[in-house]
Amino acid sequence: MEEFVERALDYASKKATYAEARYCSSQRNVVLMKNGTISATGYSVDSGLAIRLLNRSIAFSSVNVPDWGVIREEIDKAAKASEMIGRNKFSSEVPVKDSWKVDQKKKIEDFSFEDRVQKMRELDDLLAGEKISMRILSLNDNIEEEYNTSSEGMSLRSRLPKISFFAMIGFMENGSFEQGTVEVGYSGGYEALDVWKLEQRLKHESDVLKNAARAKKLSDGKYDLVAGPEISGIVAHESCGHPTELDRILGREMAQAGESFIKKNNRGMRVGSDIVNLVDDPTLDHSFGFYRYDRDGVRAKKRYLYKNGLINDFLSNRESAGRMEEKSNGASRSSEWDKEPLVRMSTTYIEPKDHNFEELIESVKEGIYMKSFTEWNIDDIRFNEKYVGREAYHIQNGVIKETIRRPVIETTTINFYSSIDAIGKDLEFSAGTCGKGDPMQGVDVWMGGPHIRLRDLNVR
Amino acid sequence: MEIETIYKRVERNVDQAAVKLIRSKITQIRFSNNSIDISNEWNEELASVFLAKNGRTFIFELKNEKDLEKIVPVSISAIDKLEKNDDFVSLNDKKNTYRKKRMRDEKLREIGGHEFVNSFIDEVKPFVKRVGGVFYKKEIEDSILTPFNSGTQKQFGVEFVSRAFDENDYPVQLSIATSTDEELPELLKQGEEVLDLAKKIRNVKEGVEGKYNVIFSPLCFASLVSYTIPMASAFQIDSGMSMFTNRMGERIGKSSFTVYDDPSDDSMFNSGAFDDEGSPTKKTPVIEKGVVKNFLHNFSTAKKYEVETTGNAGIVSPSPWQLSVEPGNEEVEDMISSMRKGLFINNTWYTRFQDYREGVLSTIPRDGIFLIENGEIKESWGGIRISDSLLNMYKNIEGLSRETKKVKWWDETMHTKSPFVEVGDVNISRSK
Repeated sequence: MEEFVERALDYASKKATYAEARYCSSQRNVVLMKNGTISATGYSVDSGLAIRLLNRSIAFSSVNVPDWGVIREEIDKAAKASEMIGRNKFSSEVPVKDSWKVDQKKKIEDFSFEDRVQKMRELDDLLAGEKISMRILSLNDNIEEEYNTSSEGMSLRSRLPKISFFAMIGFMENGSFEQGTVEVGYSGGYEALDVWKLEQRLKHESDVLKNAARAKKLSDGKYDLVAGPEISGIVAHESCGHPTELDRILGREMAQAGESFIKKNNRGMRVGSDIVNLVDDPTLDHSFGFYRYDRDGVRAKKRYLYKNGLINDFLSNRESAGRMEEKSNGASRSSEWDKEPLVRMSTTYIEPKDHNFEELIESVKEGIYMKSFTEWNIDDIRFNEKYVGREAYHIQNGVIKETIRRPVIETTTINFYSSIDAIGKDLEFSAGTCGKGDPMQGVDVWMGGPHIRLRDLNVR
Repeated sequence: MEIETIYKRVERNVDQAAVKLIRSKITQIRFSNNSIDISNEWNEELASVFLAKNGRTFIFELKNEKDLEKIVPVSISAIDKLEKNDDFVSLNDKKNTYRKKRMRDEKLREIGGHEFVNSFIDEVKPFVKRVGGVFYKKEIEDSILTPFNSGTQKQFGVEFVSRAFDENDYPVQLSIATSTDEELPELLKQGEEVLDLAKKIRNVKEGVEGKYNVIFSPLCFASLVSYTIPMASAFQIDSGMSMFTNRMGERIGKSSFTVYDDPSDDSMFNSGAFDDEGSPTKKTPVIEKGVVKNFLHNFSTAKKYEVETTGNAGIVSPSPWQLSVEPGNEEVEDMISSMRKGLFINNTWYTRFQDYREGVLSTIPRDGIFLIENGEIKESWGGIRISDSLLNMYKNIEGLSRETKKVKWWDETMHTKSPFVEVGDVNISRSK
């Protein structure tokens, strides 16, 4: 299909005020294991041509039938659809010609299915040895190659390899059940396995579930909270990254994932204590949401979404920035070649500060230390949220005490960030798949932060 | 792509092969705040190929026949070196015949998406602050070819979701999904219906924690069963991550509660005559009169459980087609008018489980949460969460309406036909 890109762009350019033609190919491998059995081993090549046109509104078309007649027909249909009255402002950007790739130390191409299965077998054996009776593990890799062109002169080539691992595990003892997940992702090659230290993580997670299944709930009440990087990360993602997506703010997702408690003129509004900085940065090396240019061809950069506790910036693409008569800050992503690019996060995190872990704990008289979460959710304006602890401990008089079971925090975005009184100097990331759009697009992200301390939260 | 070409390319190298070829033509129009945002078109082909050799299995997918030359050698080489897949027994090895689907969609096919959306916006916007939504027209043809069976079937359907915000920015939402001309009038009434729902908004307030009787709309109850029934897949049961594990034959709901996986209803989009390995499909009661009656199987999981396949392959993991909740005999108006104090919840999203085994979850109601007192809507709430378990809620079902609706919304709700359902003592929590 790549051979049709220039021809498609040339043809589409004559029918639109702005046109893009993009060829993309993703080669994916997967090994799925369930309770010790290799349930699926698979390989896929997902490729095709995407066309986006701008006239009186936007039209997007994807076709993977390698026939110029079919492609031309799709462009004609898209051109006709784009003549319907709608929204049609894109921000003005300088078109870029460039190529980029992420290098691999241990190439995906050299990693055989036997290697993949052997790794999974080792990990599953480890979990089985820990008496984790419910185990679903998957190891995935993907090499995405893209050639993106526009009628303005954009010409971008990229090659982005990625590895990810996901484990869902459950432990049952005397009718007491606990479930947990381990999810990691990496841009690069199979050197990821050296970085992740999966054996350590899975052993730790096994212990967490066993301890939680035997633990008791804490009584309801007001507690200080020391939250670990996994909690910092999910909060950063859910209650900073999502509500600062400009397309949500403008209502573009109103009938699906919803809108935002932030309005378009809310830059400068206080949402947290003045030590709180929130960042989204697609340029972190080996991050799961890494890219150098976004799908609109805009150079990726670090963005401060909340700064000193105030709303500072919105994530935008050319479409949403155009509606605000601003420049895009390069957040246009799509999960696959055949989905429209939307405003998406990459790596979203709370910026570290100055406290070490002991300093965060020592002044807590009555509190909880929540390292990881199980159930969580947030409303469709990203304001009311819930996090249920998976690995959690009682803190008394500056000392970490017993494991506690499933502590629940139901709070609001502003209350959470306003309750932060100290921020650690550490920084860790976890991987996730962020869902948005219709049809649903799950994009790879990292989320993270340091340990943080919050005062006086309701816990049940 | 041609299914025979792909099949011939792989069959000589393996013991069994199954090829599924999907051709899809989909039109989508998304709109928000009274204006069209984008028109999307998909014209795609996807081939999924399952290979089995000496007890080992491998799957590959491609969207371009030219990639076959790259994929097949990798796949054939890989399968010989893999571990055996003990979950796999065989593809369905009987020669099967399939029912013919009843397609009655000539008028639906004539609907112009842009005209429909623009007409809807024009009808609704004078009465609300703003409206958004999505229109889908989907046409899919899928074919299968195995050593034992072959078949081709078509799907066609229209889906429409609308979300309207009143002057206080309080939202309501509706969904309709249909594949039959008989429901065209219902589709054309969406403007009227969303306005009727918006008219019910009054006294917008933050919700109050507590236990409430809740009348779930079909859209909302469909969401709950959409999270429930996939857990009846034998794959999920085997994994242990399911509230159905070890519960075959157990009562998990009121005797008025029956849910089918029903691929036989061709008035819904996701009906089908055969599954991915050539088994004929059938209507399967998963929960019947409150009791766990069937798990969802493919040929291999059925052998393991010593039952007949339910025609739900997924060769790796069985999955439901489309859901149908058995209606009751109550009138919706009576359910509301007889409620002393309770809630009507129209929609929900972001359902997450802290315990799959007991179905312990929370989910966030939206798009019309009405406090009912003495049979009348008194307030419209926001900011609440259902923090409960599916087992509790199904055991506390108090009534089901005669009326049903066919819905499909985004990734939250599968194609489902559901009545209004009243559930007692639902635990409502909120942020503090």
